[in-house]
Amino acid sequence: MKKFLLSLSTWVLAILFFFPVFWMFLNSFKTDFDASTDPKLFFSPTLEQFREVIDSKFWEAFASSFFIVIVSTIIVMLLAVPAAYALSIKPIPKWRDMLFFFISTKFLPIVAGILPIYILADALSLLNSRTVLIILYTAMNLPLAVWMLNSFFREVPKELIEAARIDGASIRSQITSVILPIVAPGLAATALLCFIFAWNEFFFALQLNVNDYQTVPIWVKGAVDERGNFIAELSAASTLATMPVIIAGWFAQKKMIRGLSMGAIK
Amino acid sequence: MKFKEKWLSSDGWYRRGPILPAFIFLLVVTQIPFLFSIYYSLTSWKANQVRIPREFIGIQNYIDLFDDRFFKSAAWISITMTVSAVLLSILLGIIFALLLDRKFFGQGIVRTLIITPFLVMPVVAALVWKNQFLGANFGILNWLLELFGFDTIEFASKQPFWSIVAVLVWQWTPFMMLIILAGLQSQSDSVLEAAKVDGANKRSTFFQITLPHLRPYLELGVLLGVIYLSQVFDHISVIRVSSKSKNVPYYVFERSIGGGWEFGQASAYSIVVVIASIIIATFGLRVLSGLIADNEGA
Amino acid sequence: MAEVEYRSVSRTFPGSEIPAVSNLNLKIESGELLVLVGPSGSGKSTALRILAGLEPQDEGSIHIDDKDVSEFQPQARDIAMVFQNYALYPQMTVAANMGFALKQKKIPKAEREKRVLEAAKILDLVPYLDRKPKNLSGGQRQRVAMGRAIVREPKVFLMDEPLSNLDAKLRVQTRAELSELQERLKVTTVYVTHDQVEAMTMGDRVAVLDHGVLQQVDKPSVLYSKPSNKFVAGFIGSPAMNFFDVTKTDNAQLMFKGSEISLKDELQNKIKKSKTSNLSLGVRPEHLKISDNGIAGKVRLIEALGSESYIHVSVDDAKSIIIRVEGNATVKQGELVNVSFGDTLHVFNEDGSRV
Repeated sequence: MKKFLLSLSTWVLAILFFFPVFWMFLNSFKTDFDASTDPKLFFSPTLEQFREVIDSKFWEAFASSFFIVIVSTIIVMLLAVPAAYALSIKPIPKWRDMLFFFISTKFLPIVAGILPIYILADALSLLNSRTVLIILYTAMNLPLAVWMLNSFFREVPKELIEAARIDGASIRSQITSVILPIVAPGLAATALLCFIFAWNEFFFALQLNVNDYQTVPIWVKGAVDERGNFIAELSAASTLATMPVIIAGWFAQKKMIRGLSMGAIK
Repeated sequence: MKFKEKWLSSDGWYRRGPILPAFIFLLVVTQIPFLFSIYYSLTSWKANQVRIPREFIGIQNYIDLFDDRFFKSAAWISITMTVSAVLLSILLGIIFALLLDRKFFGQGIVRTLIITPFLVMPVVAALVWKNQFLGANFGILNWLLELFGFDTIEFASKQPFWSIVAVLVWQWTPFMMLIILAGLQSQSDSVLEAAKVDGANKRSTFFQITLPHLRPYLELGVLLGVIYLSQVFDHISVIRVSSKSKNVPYYVFERSIGGGWEFGQASAYSIVVVIASIIIATFGLRVLSGLIADNEGA
Repeated sequence: MAEVEYRSVSRTFPGSEIPAVSNLNLKIESGELLVLVGPSGSGKSTALRILAGLEPQDEGSIHIDDKDVSEFQPQARDIAMVFQNYALYPQMTVAANMGFALKQKKIPKAEREKRVLEAAKILDLVPYLDRKPKNLSGGQRQRVAMGRAIVREPKVFLMDEPLSNLDAKLRVQTRAELSELQERLKVTTVYVTHDQVEAMTMGDRVAVLDHGVLQQVDKPSVLYSKPSNKFVAGFIGSPAMNFFDVTKTDNAQLMFKGSEISLKDELQNKIKKSKTSNLSLGVRPEHLKISDNGIAGKVRLIEALGSESYIHVSVDDAKSIIIRVEGNATVKQGELVNVSFGDTLHVFNEDGSRV
């Protein structure tokens, strides 16, 4: 009996916790009137909000975001995997300092870094481009990826690496044939986190990109500014904006937990 | 194979090679702006006064900083906001993780539901909460309050700090929960069984065995939580900007490109934040934490 | 087939004051199976890892086939290793595990598959080629680890306690198979174990290590019958040799608790030359017998194995000796008995060296 109550309360808590998202989702299907007056659960659904909101700018923004986020995540993984190897399997002498350096790059508030970055980007004619965001998002996620992958790599039994070395495997071969298959869930978890943070990033995208190559967060904000109080439309925009990450998260969350429990931590 | 036949320990570059791309990339992209910031912080650059040139004024900005009560207030907000959000989300995260560390019907679905807030865009999350929950006119919380006969409260304006913290906790609890759940699941069954046999009840098992085991996981949660939550910006700008809710990043924004145009001064603030963070982190990571302590890998 | 030589190899772990391996000089003949044996901390695994290139040596050099490989990476030494925990690649099938090293050498697929199949046949692994390690039993995994080594046709096999994770019965069986296999393949093998029974049964020669120092290296039978110091004497042989604290008399006799022990002339001569008068007398369990005269004692415990029995006799309160008899013991627990010495006696100086 106690177990049942516990499970029940878990369910209730989860539903309550999830409710705001559900509500936003619900509002997307309401007419503006329904959404702006007293909250109701029952209404006649409509797709007009989505129609209002999906214009060409929407598709552009989505395309931009996907491109930027996927490219930057790939670059992050390509840089972080060898880096993690150098910190864990055959540690460089000052690996602790290096790890500290990586994490310390996140101490500078991005609101401060924006000044010099803006000026530099302008000087390099990178303003208004996808490249600048790719570079910045990579720099933003690299420390986290290196940190996490380092922990995962450390969980690989030392003997396996030794066996691979004796078998004649080069570093690349050790990584691809032995390490990566073992840490695959951890890799997925890391990539997913990078995806989430890059996709949802708002500040840099706003400051550095004026018109072309809007990312999805900017597009959502645009939906607010022009439309002021139109909650339903905003909800529709928000739902669309958050969907890719939610779907990715839902699919990968099992891997994420396996990955984290594999040893994101010593 | 000749080069690689050499003994690794005498060939430092071979060992360092793999980390170089990441290291150099990060060095260039983060340190150049950092150095520029330091430079700006030593000038009197006011970006909206084009006619007055930018002069080098040494550490004047830093001296002014100590008198700036707005900065102090923002610093205090930063600290309290970060600490509250981190602590509350860890607490809630532990509760959720404990609830989820059992087998029950629909476990996967429940987990998925709980994770979702973390995936939602911060701006969107803040907007939804502001309008739909906290709003005096249409917010659900107020609707509930009215149902029970209470007066409505415009949360966002009356309690900006806690409104923001509420949304932050809502979004970050899943993250903490995941880390802690991983920790719970990595406990060794045999240790838990031994505790049972030794007569420990649920409470003492949790406090004496589980909690110590969770320590590295909690430390990771705190580390990442502090890093990300101290930089909160979106939520503040959406929900409520007031003297009670401005943290340092937002304050720096206001003073620079958000209207103040005091690039020199703002840069000084940022540098101070970085230095403070490095000091705190060095102390925290090296002394208190096991994260980069003297334990070698598996 | 290759000769392996350790020349004055030493290694101290950073942070430790005692060397793990101290001035090791050891030459292993081509095609020989040499066992490195010793208690935990004796340095045997370290010595093996130095040979493999997984651990650097502080001093000295390693030579394989007369080539100085001291600076070479493991990849370049043409060795194969079987780990105690097998270290099988979990995501690969048995076939892939065995073929991995060949793939690294860029050996073409057809050749690879041929060699893997050959090795699999020798080790009875053919039905398991497509399985992953997690679906194999301990014994099967052990054979895959062996197969991975065999397939490479290396100059030297290195084995780090490869049988210690098997259950007792399987261990005995695999021991025999391993010996036969090594004989057949004639690959120089360096085998590390802490189990002296394994060492005695498998090695062409056995090297005994203690605290990083080589004590003696010889054929098993020689180690058994002519241990060069007290440590080797006490380590080799199960149950262990019994030691008695004896004193030398003026006329070169040995006294144990007041009674004289009769010695053969040869031994007496050696004892005359001994440096000190406090000596240690070592007698193996099978060289003691229950008789009418001799040292008095009381039977404490009898271990009956069926084919033989071990009688534990307490000679005084602190000391207990073990006597081995064929079949069943004729005495009972608690009985008062007398123990006499047989002919084969070993005498050691205070410093452990043989007299």
